[in-house]
Amino acid sequence: MRQIRIGRASGLLGFMPWGFGLYVALTTPSFAVPSFARQTGMACAACHTVFPELTPFGREFKLNGYVLDNIKQITGITTENRETLSLNSLPPISVMLQISYTHTGAALPDSAVQGALAKDGDVLFPQQASFFYAGKIADNLGAFMQLTYDGAADQFGFDNTDVRYARHVDIGSRPESQNHSLVLGITVNNNPTVQDVWNTTQAWGFPYSGSSTSPTPATSTKIDSGNGGLQQNAGGIGVYAWLNDCLYGEISVYSAVKLGGVHPLDSTQSQVLHGVAPYWRLAYEKRWDRNSLMVGAYGIDASIHPGNGLPLQGPPDKYRDVAGDLQYQFIGEDHIFTVLSTYIAEKQTLDASFANMLAANDDNTLDTFKLAGEYSYQRTIGGSLAFFSTTGSGDALLYAQAPVVGSLNNSPDSRGYIAEINYLPFLNTKLQLQYTVYDKFNGLGTNYDGAGRNASDNNTLYLLAWVNF
Amino acid sequence: MSSRFLAVALSTSLYLGALAHGADAPLQKTLVTCGTCHGINGRSVSPTFPNLAAQQAPYIELQLKAFKEQTRADPDAQAYMWGMASQLSDGMISQLADYFSKQPPAPGKLEKPALIAQGKRLFEEGVAAQGIPPCASCHGAHAEGMATFPRLAGQHSPYLLKQLLVIQSVLRTAPVMHGVVKNLTKDQMQAVVTYLESL
Repeated sequence: MRQIRIGRASGLLGFMPWGFGLYVALTTPSFAVPSFARQTGMACAACHTVFPELTPFGREFKLNGYVLDNIKQITGITTENRETLSLNSLPPISVMLQISYTHTGAALPDSAVQGALAKDGDVLFPQQASFFYAGKIADNLGAFMQLTYDGAADQFGFDNTDVRYARHVDIGSRPESQNHSLVLGITVNNNPTVQDVWNTTQAWGFPYSGSSTSPTPATSTKIDSGNGGLQQNAGGIGVYAWLNDCLYGEISVYSAVKLGGVHPLDSTQSQVLHGVAPYWRLAYEKRWDRNSLMVGAYGIDASIHPGNGLPLQGPPDKYRDVAGDLQYQFIGEDHIFTVLSTYIAEKQTLDASFANMLAANDDNTLDTFKLAGEYSYQRTIGGSLAFFSTTGSGDALLYAQAPVVGSLNNSPDSRGYIAEINYLPFLNTKLQLQYTVYDKFNGLGTNYDGAGRNASDNNTLYLLAWVNF
Repeated sequence: MSSRFLAVALSTSLYLGALAHGADAPLQKTLVTCGTCHGINGRSVSPTFPNLAAQQAPYIELQLKAFKEQTRADPDAQAYMWGMASQLSDGMISQLADYFSKQPPAPGKLEKPALIAQGKRLFEEGVAAQGIPPCASCHGAHAEGMATFPRLAGQHSPYLLKQLLVIQSVLRTAPVMHGVVKNLTKDQMQAVVTYLESL
């Protein structure tokens, strides 16, 4: 899903007539890929309830490094019988295509002619087209790599990538220790949370797809892709442990990664990570009968230079996110229920932005809360209901008044609901009708931007055809 | 060097050292894969996946070969096991069957006593009027199974019920069972599988 992040970016990027600035954040959750099915010989339903949400088996598949294979391998060994090659006889390649239609409550202003309105009702063909290499590279080593063409941006780019090495480790020679399992792994990826397996975090969280052209609230917490987010703006490496199919721990570190533009990175880039940002994750999952319940926590400490004309030196802005999350799944023969939730608390110390008049306060806070409930009947017909909210301290510069994207009362507070109906004629094809309702947008319900636009004017009807093959 | 750096370097070395000692023996690796759904000890959590612990080795062997040859074709067999079994050698199939048959069985689940009593009667006596023979005659007095007749004791009841249904609808081929289940009603199935899970 690509989301348009509006608001704080307008302060950073300056721009277009009447301050109608859109900052397109490259937040593209990637998806269930048929190449995994080709490699494992298993139907989508083994790993997914309804794609891209993972089942317990799907989580195991990912945590074990995407390497489970059930197709003929091309192998190589040394004279000591050490394996030097174990390659799928067919490359694990997949294609994804999304075609969408977006209609907002009220038309947006024309970007070039003052007083005119843009066409309300936008078809993107495609909204997104992706190519994946997703599967095994060697024994214990696998990759999920995505190249995406973005229809709205008319750009082809490197998207979510997660390369991982994982293996089971013996944790004792006594017979009773056979009842224990420990997976240790290393992940190298370009989006904090893309490595996660519970669909509660940014990279894979609900909603799994949304309009890429309708207005979205000014900001969110950093780990939830606020202000450009870290996705594809960071590259990192992490280590994780998965004990007894129930206890997960991970520590990763991320550094600035920017594609294109000036290299080595300098003041022409924006939102550049300073040093390394540690990301951590703990989760406990309990499985019983057809149910599973996960309670977890995660967070990141990111220091970021605003750049965009400002040198990448001096005290950076600091974002400390601490989050809790929860997932419940019931996977029956016919009925599947899922509940997903996360709460993220962020403390911002904006030394760089404050010193350069990009923020009115040195310290700010943001809190994001999301709750979603999903239901599917025979993995064919289903629906979801979700609530989302971001609240935080007001800031006259971060959330300045501006048409559509700004805030009359300088507040980041936004709140709304999403209702969704899905129909999957085939396990790899989803037809989706989604409606997003805002009852508060950038601080207010009515005239939130000071130019007469109401939160409900941004209510979005979104139709999507989504196929993977 | 700071103590923090030393701590990070030490824990990284320990981690990588542990990683280098992963389980690599072919049987161990395959068991890890099977164990993902069936439990490494053959006792599964989700009733979608049958318990394999204490199952008859010849039955496991027969089924794995049927998956591999795609002659067992019920929906879950196709979705999960066709892929899983496709690359198993005959030798590995024997080793897996041997391993799981020697694991301690899953404990029974005592629920719905009235249904259990009804199921017990059906299992032990059959229903002559419907032409249903006693299940115990092939599966053993305690549903422990015999050779290619599977152990049913302690098995997840939703799994057993689904098998009876797909055998009845001939999605799963099981020559002896087709005649047995032909006239079995869904209520009778529910009773007998509830009894079997209680064992």
